[in-house]
Amino acid sequence: MKTLEHAFLVQNNLGLHARPATAIAKSLQSFQAKVTFSCNSLTVDAKQVMSLLLLEATENTLIRVKVEGSDADLALKGLLTTIENIF
Amino acid sequence: MAILDHKHEIRLKGSPICGGIAIGSPFLFNFFENEIPEFSISDSEVESEVLRYRKALEKSKKEVEYLQKQLDLDGALDGVMILETHIQIMKDELITTVLEEAIREKKKNAEYIFGLFIRDYEKKLAKLTGEMFREKIRDVQDIAARILKNLKKTVKLSLAEVKENAIVFATDLAPSDAAEAKRTHIGAFVTEMGGKTSHAAIVARSRGIPYVSNINLAQVELKKEDVVIIDGRSGEVIVNPTSATLLSYRDLQNQLRAYLDNLSQAGEFLTETPDSYKVRLSANIEAIDELQLVHKYRGDGIGLFRSEYICLDKKGFPTEEEQFEIYKQFVQAANGLPIVIRTFDVGGDKSGDFLNVAEANPFLGCRAIRYMLQNPTVFRVQLRAILRASVFGQVKVMFPMVSGAFELLEAKKLLQEEMSKLDQESIRYDKNIKIGCMIEIPSAAITCDEFAKHCDFLSIGTNDLVQYSLAVDRSNQMMSYLYNPADPSVIRLIKMVVIEANRNGIPVSVCGEIAADPRFTALLLGLGVHELSCTARFIPIVKNTIRRTSIISACQLAETILKMSSYKEIQQKLNEEYEKLIPQDVQHIGPLIGH
Repeated sequence: MKTLEHAFLVQNNLGLHARPATAIAKSLQSFQAKVTFSCNSLTVDAKQVMSLLLLEATENTLIRVKVEGSDADLALKGLLTTIENIF
Repeated sequence: MAILDHKHEIRLKGSPICGGIAIGSPFLFNFFENEIPEFSISDSEVESEVLRYRKALEKSKKEVEYLQKQLDLDGALDGVMILETHIQIMKDELITTVLEEAIREKKKNAEYIFGLFIRDYEKKLAKLTGEMFREKIRDVQDIAARILKNLKKTVKLSLAEVKENAIVFATDLAPSDAAEAKRTHIGAFVTEMGGKTSHAAIVARSRGIPYVSNINLAQVELKKEDVVIIDGRSGEVIVNPTSATLLSYRDLQNQLRAYLDNLSQAGEFLTETPDSYKVRLSANIEAIDELQLVHKYRGDGIGLFRSEYICLDKKGFPTEEEQFEIYKQFVQAANGLPIVIRTFDVGGDKSGDFLNVAEANPFLGCRAIRYMLQNPTVFRVQLRAILRASVFGQVKVMFPMVSGAFELLEAKKLLQEEMSKLDQESIRYDKNIKIGCMIEIPSAAITCDEFAKHCDFLSIGTNDLVQYSLAVDRSNQMMSYLYNPADPSVIRLIKMVVIEANRNGIPVSVCGEIAADPRFTALLLGLGVHELSCTARFIPIVKNTIRRTSIISACQLAETILKMSSYKEIQQKLNEEYEKLIPQDVQHIGPLIGH
């Protein structure tokens, strides 16, 4: 079991709104690893759009990422590519 | 009595769908926009409630996926992305497994649990700041509305809860809801939506249940203990009537009852004009108990058995054995009278929950024969069951919604293949079973000489013919001013079909709602229609009209009307002639179909 941690900045003037949240959740669903996002003292499952929407992630919010599972490295790599593309 | 007077009498005006007067207290079926019903679910019902929720969710997802595909084809990429969010939300654990668990745990109906969850979620979202909140909440509310809408469609009219003579108020009625009503003593229906020839309206009419639609339910706050009067002839809904109003309506109700009782005596007489022109008067039926009335009124047969109702009740296609047993019962109950079994007309507003077809324009989509030809297994099962039942009486088979003769030929090919299989299995059936087509699409009416060459009879379905000729959705209340069977185009199409049927020596009947409207009777006879098929309840009133109409005057009327150029002119003429024929009757039967 691998645990990886990472962080990224929300670079979008609307924040982490529906469209990027959808892209993130969708890109993670094919991985077995558990992925959580934390910011403003709230931690949510990053594979679930409704949970992501609850994050108060406005522009320039720092989101901490935690990935746990056998394919954690692949999941994180996928996530970073998605983030690159959407912001 | 004075107690009633202190309340304010409220009069609302809607569209009259089915005549008759009902007095009773309101039963709020479905629920209003902002009101979500809450009721407990017993242990044994919990899993089916979860299943109902899952189906509504699945249906919502299918709808969105379909919309997304359409947008994709149009190149509307922004829209595609927004809908992708909706799809993802509907796959979210919170809305799937977590919610299902909550239904199991709290043992309440799905919409209540769902409503609680959404309210809770919205509260959490509300903590977010301005713009972001608005943007997010819009998507969630959009999805919630869709899921609730789909849940609403599957709420069953809970029989136990409806008291005798209750006036059922609903935003809309599915045909199966209306069909369900037959087993109870519902006083009347009042709905926000639903046109005069929606299938729910047809069912209400066949049950003789007064029905008023196009009533804005938000206008009035109804309480269980209120008294409501429904006048299905004028479309009036009176809440908290004064004692004077109540008395006058009780009186009217009795008069109307006496009038109908008197008419039904006419059942004994022959169906012929004073100049001895014989007309076949048959019945359209959905349920087996309607056959009693057909016999009582001496109907000449069953001109239309809407077989799809056996699926709507069951929420799926019955097996061959089940269908065989049902058809056999109907054929036996017809007791020697010919019975036309129309193959399943599913789709359109009768998709049920079992078809899983999400279409932007269901009425222009995969309906009736189109569905059956695309799903030959379903079709073959039905054809076999009909064939096997044909040995018990005089069975005819009819195909609905054919748009071109090629569909008739394809359907006939399947029928013949099933016949050969039955031959091989040495199973008996009527080898000379008569085959007919519904003419309800303008293309079929225009090319009906082609149909006439390949089948044994034609039946004009005016409800759909009007909708397709005038390009107006028959259940769209906003367009109802255009939906009019008295339109010259419709009358002329009927004439065309009659001419071609005569030329090819096959009989033609009319089985739409206009066959039940006595104001159209003389016109239809004059156009040369051989048979009228209407809801059994209307046989006496139509027969009474036939018995007073000379065929010569009917022909003259048809000639005059064929020269007229607008529905208004035609409608006025039909009303005038009817008034001359049977004075004062108009006030008993309500306005013309399509006003």
